[in-house]
Amino acid sequence: MEENLKSVLIIGGGIAGIQASLDLAERGFKVELVEKESCIGGRMAQLDKTFPTNDCSICILAPKLAECNRHPNITLHTLSEVKNITGEAGNFTVKMLQKARYVIEDVCKGCGDCEVICPIRGLPNRFDTNLNSHGAIYIPFPSSIPLVYLIDDKKCLYLNYGICGLCVKACGAGAIDFSQKDEEIEFNVGSIIIATGFDVFDATLIPCLGYGRINNVVTGLEFERLICASGPLGGHLVRPSDKKEPKKIAFINCVGSRDINYNPYCSSCCCMYTTKEAMVAYEHDNEINSTIFYIDLRAPGKDFQKYIKRGNREYNINYVKAKVAKIIEDKKKNPIVIYENTKTFEIEREAFDLVILAASMIPKKDAEELSKALGIELDHYNFFKGDTYHPQVSSKEGIFLCGACREPMDIPTSVLDASSAAARATEILSER
Amino acid sequence: MTYEPQLLGFLCNWCSYAGADLAGVSRIQYAPNLRVIRVMCSGRVDPVFILEAFLKGVDGVLVLGCHLGDCHYISGNYEAVIKMELLDKILGFSGFSERLRLDWVSASEGNRFAQVVNEFTEKVRNLGPSPIKDKNQKAEITDELKAIKSALSDIRLRALVARKRSITTEGNVYEEIVPEEEYNKLLEQAINDEYLRHKILVKIKNKGKSVPEISKEINVKPNKVLEHIVYLKSRGLVDFDIINDIIPTFISIQED
Amino acid sequence: MEDIRIGVFICHCGTNIGGILDITSITEYTKTLPNVIYAADNIYTCSELGLSEIRGKIKEHNLNRVVVASCSPRTHENLFRETCHEAGLNPYLFEMVNIRDQDSWVHMKEPEKGTEKAKDLIHMGISKAALLKPLEKIKVEVTPSAAIIGGGIAGMTAALNLAKQGFQTTIIEKESQLGGNLRLLNKLYPIEVDASKLLEIIDIIERNKNIHVITSAVPIKVEGFVGNFEISVKEREQISKIKTGIIIVATGAKPLIPKGLFRYNGKSIITQLDLEPLLKENKLVAQNIVMIQCVGARNEERPYCSNICCMTALKNAMIIKKLNPNSNLVILYRDIQVHGTTYEDYYRKARENGIIFIKYSSDKPPLVKDSIIEVYNELRNQEINIPYDLVVLSTPLIAHEDSTTLAKLLKIPQQDNNFFLEAHVKLRPSDFATDGIFICGSAHWPADVRESISQAYAAASRASRILSKDTLEVEGSTAEVDIEICIKCKICTRMCPFSAIYKNKEGKIEVNQVLCKACGVCGASCPTGAITILHFTDEQILSEIASCGGEF
Repeated sequence: MEENLKSVLIIGGGIAGIQASLDLAERGFKVELVEKESCIGGRMAQLDKTFPTNDCSICILAPKLAECNRHPNITLHTLSEVKNITGEAGNFTVKMLQKARYVIEDVCKGCGDCEVICPIRGLPNRFDTNLNSHGAIYIPFPSSIPLVYLIDDKKCLYLNYGICGLCVKACGAGAIDFSQKDEEIEFNVGSIIIATGFDVFDATLIPCLGYGRINNVVTGLEFERLICASGPLGGHLVRPSDKKEPKKIAFINCVGSRDINYNPYCSSCCCMYTTKEAMVAYEHDNEINSTIFYIDLRAPGKDFQKYIKRGNREYNINYVKAKVAKIIEDKKKNPIVIYENTKTFEIEREAFDLVILAASMIPKKDAEELSKALGIELDHYNFFKGDTYHPQVSSKEGIFLCGACREPMDIPTSVLDASSAAARATEILSER
Repeated sequence: MTYEPQLLGFLCNWCSYAGADLAGVSRIQYAPNLRVIRVMCSGRVDPVFILEAFLKGVDGVLVLGCHLGDCHYISGNYEAVIKMELLDKILGFSGFSERLRLDWVSASEGNRFAQVVNEFTEKVRNLGPSPIKDKNQKAEITDELKAIKSALSDIRLRALVARKRSITTEGNVYEEIVPEEEYNKLLEQAINDEYLRHKILVKIKNKGKSVPEISKEINVKPNKVLEHIVYLKSRGLVDFDIINDIIPTFISIQED
Repeated sequence: MEDIRIGVFICHCGTNIGGILDITSITEYTKTLPNVIYAADNIYTCSELGLSEIRGKIKEHNLNRVVVASCSPRTHENLFRETCHEAGLNPYLFEMVNIRDQDSWVHMKEPEKGTEKAKDLIHMGISKAALLKPLEKIKVEVTPSAAIIGGGIAGMTAALNLAKQGFQTTIIEKESQLGGNLRLLNKLYPIEVDASKLLEIIDIIERNKNIHVITSAVPIKVEGFVGNFEISVKEREQISKIKTGIIIVATGAKPLIPKGLFRYNGKSIITQLDLEPLLKENKLVAQNIVMIQCVGARNEERPYCSNICCMTALKNAMIIKKLNPNSNLVILYRDIQVHGTTYEDYYRKARENGIIFIKYSSDKPPLVKDSIIEVYNELRNQEINIPYDLVVLSTPLIAHEDSTTLAKLLKIPQQDNNFFLEAHVKLRPSDFATDGIFICGSAHWPADVRESISQAYAAASRASRILSKDTLEVEGSTAEVDIEICIKCKICTRMCPFSAIYKNKEGKIEVNQVLCKACGVCGASCPTGAITILHFTDEQILSEIASCGGEF
C-alpha cells in the first residue's frame, strides 16, 4: 500500500496535464497520465503560434511530450478514460477503460506503411478540425506522441466485415493486432489532478453569424489549422470557398461568450489570440489587412499590452469596438459583416474575404459525466469548481484541478496552474 | 557534365534539425545534396568551420537555427547572426559570401526546410562549382581562404564580434553604450584591416618578400602595406627576413 | 594513443530505409572506413533483437565506439546510449547517423543519390565517433532547504507548502512583520472576504517547526549555485549566513503614488490603497464618488496594464454601494480588464448594482476640476460633467526601487519597468534561466491575491523538484576552459544566459558544469579558443567537415 500512495492520477494530456506530470515525476512520484485521445498534446498541439512571443506551438511543446513519453516515473495511458473513483485522499481506487488500439504500442515504429495501403479514405481528421481526412488506420498528426498508429473500429473493414487486413501484410514489424479488446484497468493512487481542458463553442448556435452556412466564416481553431505550416494547407493561407488568398480579414471576438444568451463569462484569451492570428496572417502575406471587432480589449497579462500595440502599429490590424450583429454573404461568397459604428452610431456593412469567429472556450461535453464519476462539483457553467482563493482545490479532498477545465485560460496561466496543482498534490502525498 | 553542388549544413538540435526530421516524417522530398552536421545551437558555429568547409571544396554552406526570439538557449541565434554578418563581409573579398546562407527553420516547418534546401541547392548550382576546384584558380583561392581563416582565428576580430551585443546593449568598461551603427563602422574597418593583414601573412609565409613585392601581389598601395607590416611586427607575427641593400624583406613567423 | 575500434550498425527499419537505399553497398563501403572493426546491417536496430546484437558485438569485438545509422538521434539517441552503457561502454562513446528522416524518407525518387548521401553521413559519423571521449554525468549534492525572499502572501504560501513537504524553509522579510501588501487591504475580491482572514496564515507559519522567519532583514550577498546557495543576510546590524538549495523571489510590488496626476492630493483625490483603510474603519462620508482607471498606466512611461486595478475598483465600488445604497458611483475606464468566469460575473453584478461605467479614450483623459470631472464619453460622443465629493485613482503596481539591487545580487534579469524576467514566459513562468531560483507574485507581474497564491504553489512545486533529490544529475557534455590559453577577457561570462561560466575566487574563468547547458556559444566566441565544448568539440566538428564527401 505504501507504494500506491506515492502516485498521482492525472486526467488529461494537454499542456496542463503534461506540466503537472513532469513536475510530479521529477519530484519522485509515480504518475498515471490518462489521455482520451490516441496521443498527448491537447489543444496546444493544434495551434500554429502562441502569444505573446509568437513562437511555434508544437516546437516548444514537443520536447515536453517527448520527456513525458520517456520519463521512467510517468506511465502514459492513451485512448483511455477514467470511469469511476472510490476511496479518499491518500488512497483512491481508479477504474479506467482503455480502448483497443488494434496496434501493439511497443512494436509499431510509426513508419506509415499501413496508412498508405488502407483502402478506406475520407474520414474527417478531428485534429485538423475536420479540414483534412485520413484512412481507417492513422495517426492524428505526423509528430504524434506516442508515435503509434490506431484503427478506427467503426470504419475498419476487417473489424466490421472480416475482409481486407491489408495493413497486417504491409506492416513489417507485425504491429497490427485485431484481437485486442477494450480493457478495464484498476489501480490505486494517492491524489488526482483533473486537466481535461476545453471544447469550442459551437458557433452554429448563433445562426445570424453564418457559421456553417457561409464558407468563408471559420472559427479561431480552424484558422490555426489553416495557417499552420504542418496543417492541411501547408501554411499557405487560402480561403475555403474559392482557394483565393484573402487580403481583408475580420476577427469577431466574444462569440458565444460575454453573452447572456449563451455563456455570460469571458473566454479570457480571445482578444490576445485574434491579435496573434492577425499578426501571423500578416507575416504570411503583408498585403493582408485585419479588423478585430471587440467589446473590451483584454490584455492584462505580462507583455500583453505591448503585443496589442505592436499588432496595431506594425501588422495592419485595426481594432473596432463593436458587437457584430449579423454576417451575410454576397454572390462572390465574400462575408459581409454588419455592425454598429460606436463612434458615429451608424449601421455599417463591410465586406471581407474571410471572417474568423473567436468562439468561446466551453467546458468539455463529458465534464458532467466525469464530475459524477469523481464525485466533485461543477460550477454553474459546468466548469470544475475550485475554491475561491485556492482555485486548484476541488470540492473533494485530494482531487485538484488545473487548466481550462476549471476556467478559460491561456497557456502561461495553464502552466502555472498545473505546477500549482502539482504542489498541492505533493502535500497530500508527503503527508502519509 | 553538369555539376552537382556539394552542400554542408549546420542544423541546430531544437529547431532546424527537428524541422528536417519533420520533413522526413511528412515524406517531403528535396534535393539530396546536403550533408548535415548537428549542433546544439546555431551559435556554436565558429566562422572558422565555414572556412574549413570552403577550403575542402564544399560549394555552399547552410547554417539553420531557431527563429529569432525562439532560441532554446535564449540568445544563441543572435550570436549566430553577428558571426554570419562578419562572415558575409569578409567572404565578400573572395566572392564566397553568396555561398553561405544563414536562415531560420522551426521544428514545425518541414515544408520550409525542404524549400530552403531546394532554393539554396538551385542557387549554388547556378553559381557553379567552387572556384577552388578550378585548377587555374586553386592556388590563389586557397591563399585567399587561408587568409580569411587566419583573420577569423585571430583574437582581434573574434573579440570584437563576441563583444558586440554586450557593448551595444549593456555598455563597455566605461559604462558607455555604443550605438550599433558606430560599432558596425568600427567592425567594418577592423574587418578590412585584418583581412589585408592576414592576406599579407599568407603571402609571406614561406618566402620573405619586400613591401613593393607584396604591394604588387595583393594590389594594395605600398604605404598601406607598410602600415600593416608595422602592426604585424608589433604583434610578433612578422619579422625581418633579409635586408637586400636598402630594401628589407619580411617573413611570417606566425605559428599555425 | 588509444586503439579506436568502431562498430557500425546500419538499420533497414523494415522497408523504410532498406526499401530505398542500397544497404549492401553502404555496409560494404563502411567496412573500408578507418577504425571500423565491425559493420553490419539489421532489420530493426531498435528492436530487442537489434539491441542485444549491439551489446553482443561490443563484447565480442571489444568495440570502444558504436555508431548506429538509422533514424533520428532526437528520438533514439537515449535508447542506444543506454544499450551501450548496459554493455559496459561509456554512453558518450556512441554516435548516431540519420539516414531515414533525413535521407531515405526524403530522397525516395533518387535512391542512388540517397545511398551516396548515406555513405557520406556515415563517414562523418565515424570520423566524429573516433574523436569522442568518455564523459560522466555530473552529480552535485543538494542542500534540502529553501530560502524565500519576501514574506507577503506569495512568500508565505510557498514557504508553507515546502515546509509541509518536510523542507527547512527560511523567509527573509524586509519589513518588521510578515504580511506584505495584505496588511494594507480591507476586503478582497471576488467574495469581499476580510484581508485579515488570509493573514491567518501568519499564525500557521509561526507555529510551523520547519519555517524560520527573519524580519527587518535583507540579503546582501548570494554565492553558489543550484542545490548549493549561500546567502548572507543582514538583520538590522547583524550578518548571518544561510545555506540553501533553492531561492524563491517573492518580493512583490507596490502601488504607484500618482504625484502630479489628476490633481492627486491624498484627501479628496486619493488612490485605491488610500481608500482601503477608509472603508475598513467605515470613515467614508462621500456620496458622489468617481473612480478613474489606468492612472499612470497604459501610457508611454508604463505601457503595461496592471491586471488588478479593474477588479479592485469594482470591489471597492460594490463595498461602497453596500455601505451606502444612495451613493453615486461612476467608473471612468478605457477597457474593463476582467476575464474568466468569476470575475466577469462580478463585473456583471456591479453593473446590475447601479454602478455607472463611462469609457474614455487615452487621448482625451478626464479633467479633474474643483467639484466636477469633465470627461468625453467615447460611446455617446459627448462631453459630460460629473460632480464628485471623492475621486479615487486606480494606479498600477510598480516594481520596488531595490529590485535592481536584488537582480544584481542574484544575477537574474529584469525587463522594462523592472519586473523580473522569467526563463520562458509560457513554458517556464516560475523559473529563472539560472537554475535553482524561482519567482512568484507581483515581483513577476502585477498579480492579485488569488493569482499570487497559485503562483506561490507553482514556484514551490518547481523548487521541490530539486530539493527532493539527494544529488542533482546533469549531462556531462559541458564547456571546459583551458586556463593556460584563457586571457580572462570575460567575453564568455557576459555572454552566457545561464551564468554558467564565471570568474572564480582565484581570478580564473571556470565553468559550473551543473548550470552549463552545453549550447557551445561561448566556445564559438572565445577569442583565443580556450573553451572546449565537450561532445561537440572543434576537432570533432572539423573531422565531420573533412569527411563530408566529394573529394576533388
